Amino acid sequence: MTRALTIATGLLLAAVLGMGAYLYILRRNEQAGARNLPDTRPISAPVAGPPSRVTFYLAYDDPGVVRAQEASIALPADPAQRGREILHALVGEYVKRPSAHELPGGADVKDVFLVTGDTAVVDTTPAFAEGHRSGVFVETLTVASLVKTLTANLPGVTRVKILVDGKERETLAGHADLECFYDVVTVEQLLEQLR
Amino acid sequence: MPWSELERMFLVSGFSLLDRSGDRGLLPRNEKRETRKRGGASAAIVAVLLLLLLVSAPSAEEKQLSIYGPQMSYSLPVSEHNKQEYIALLAALEPFGNVSAGVDGEKWKLSFNNLEAEFRRDSNRGKVAGRRFGLPAPFVLEGNRGLVPLRALPGILGLMLATKTEYHEAARRLFLGGAATHFTTDVREGGLSVNFSAPVNPLISTEPGRLKMTFTRDPVVSSAYILRLENPLVSAITFSENNGRAELVVQGRVPLLAQFAAGGKTIDLVPAPSQAQSAPPAAAPGTATAAVSVPPPPTLQSLAAKPPFVVMLDAGHGGDDRGALLSETLAEKAVTLALARRLRSELQSYGLSAVMSRDADVTVPVEQRAAMADAARVTVYVSLHAASLGRGVRVYTAMINSASAKPGGFVPWDAAQAGYVLSSRALADIVKAELGKHEIPSSKLSAPVKPLNNVAAAAIAIEIAPSGADVGSVNAAGYQQRIATAVAEAIVVGRARVEAER
Repeated sequence: MTRALTIATGLLLAAVLGMGAYLYILRRNEQAGARNLPDTRPISAPVAGPPSRVTFYLAYDDPGVVRAQEASIALPADPAQRGREILHALVGEYVKRPSAHELPGGADVKDVFLVTGDTAVVDTTPAFAEGHRSGVFVETLTVASLVKTLTANLPGVTRVKILVDGKERETLAGHADLECFYDVVTVEQLLEQLR
Repeated sequence: MPWSELERMFLVSGFSLLDRSGDRGLLPRNEKRETRKRGGASAAIVAVLLLLLLVSAPSAEEKQLSIYGPQMSYSLPVSEHNKQEYIALLAALEPFGNVSAGVDGEKWKLSFNNLEAEFRRDSNRGKVAGRRFGLPAPFVLEGNRGLVPLRALPGILGLMLATKTEYHEAARRLFLGGAATHFTTDVREGGLSVNFSAPVNPLISTEPGRLKMTFTRDPVVSSAYILRLENPLVSAITFSENNGRAELVVQGRVPLLAQFAAGGKTIDLVPAPSQAQSAPPAAAPGTATAAVSVPPPPTLQSLAAKPPFVVMLDAGHGGDDRGALLSETLAEKAVTLALARRLRSELQSYGLSAVMSRDADVTVPVEQRAAMADAARVTVYVSLHAASLGRGVRVYTAMINSASAKPGGFVPWDAAQAGYVLSSRALADIVKAELGKHEIPSSKLSAPVKPLNNVAAAAIAIEIAPSGADVGSVNAAGYQQRIATAVAEAIVVGRARVEAER
């Protein structure tokens, strides 16, 4: 084999190996990207009902307040389903772009359960917590908005517990406590401080 | 075992440890000989028993680790190499499933169910469940036994068992999968009940003036360490953890007896029978009580009388938990640690004692931070955070309703802050005022910051935001120094108020 042929063969082999490595990296990145995509599939069938007036307590990162805002949405008769639809619509406001208080795509409320009359348990999607921005203030705004919106629209509910994918989680994104029950009185004190 | 019981046991089996006939001269000669023979046999048995006790008694220096899982608990011996504590990894995993290990040259490989771990002799690096794993001290290979530093075991078990771990390092107690038995006390007529969240089986021993319950297999935990009671029977209860076990020591005013109830979930403390009759006159007004009361040890009294003023600085996040990503290269955990160190220096310059929850880039579970604060009985707890949202400094207190501390009751973990929230709010006001003096914009809010609710002390959280448009300013030395100076001055100013409400 001539020297030129050896060099050409070597170069070709190197090119093959290089292209193979490049393809491998491309494939891995594509798979990682697919895994990180938020799950945006609908989590339950839409519930029909007459349009009702509800009050959203919407969080605004700048200037860091929670403001009441009225809206009209179709709500079923069952209180738990009403709670789910209200929070679903509230979170929908945050998932939209642009939003005054952004939540990640795929963030949603899966279910609301009413227990012992005054307590509601809110079950959220994994993306709600896993993609949430980290920070005491930004997490506090989310929790306050959810709790106040739910308790304001479901008379009798005074305590709220937030779950993520059916399970208790230590914090929302490293700061806000999700192991506790939120009392509407303390949340209202917070909203008063934010005014 | 009491001597009388030991003697009774041997009497039943035909032996007498002591000849208590009283008047040997009345016995016939053959009976005297028999008595002497029996005395000799008894002495020999006593000697053998004493020897066995000495041999079987564990050495006071023997270190052990206790591991508590949801289904089982066990203890393992801890060895020392180069002044570091080590544990046999194979033995730690054995109770959980099929585990095997082998040596391959300088490598030690372990298989557990479908997972593998690999370490190299004298190396700080290894692999656990397919991930790189750093050890705080070199791996030790003793024959076929692989020893890992004790401090690395929680992380290794967490990965191999895919479960949450909580490690009480000072006490060598490792809790897996949230295993924990909590307890409360219930003062009732004629006694005191200690109620546990699960059945317990402690070793109970009594000494003059106190009754001790030692829990080796039960994952008993508590956020309170000393509880003083206004009770005619019990003056105080102390909880401590050490060498793989927990101890609950009840300081009695009268000799006490422990009785199990509710299937082992309750231990009732009642006056011992001989005291049950004498206790009422002792409690009667105007009657001298010195004859029956047993005062608690002076060390406990002095500890309660003069608690030191200690500030705990909790640099948020760390290790695997980076916190918020403030910019592409700046993580919250780095900012909080730098700020905590500056604040510590400032406090020390005022002659105040400051402890840190972490002084390096290490993972410290959130609840463990509160447990550390409660165990150290700190006066002030400051949790430090950083964010890119907003400007200046936000000072937070717990989102909890105030409540006066219930005398005679253990403080619930989730509401430990309730009795201190007023002093926390007062301190937050002072911090805000001092920040204002240093021209740092600030706001004060209540917020559900973990773990403020679990801290039994004046507790605040401080979240620093950029001073201007540049997010990187949160890590600027000058900006952090101004904040540290203001917060330290606020703690100095607020000290009297906080101590008054303690």
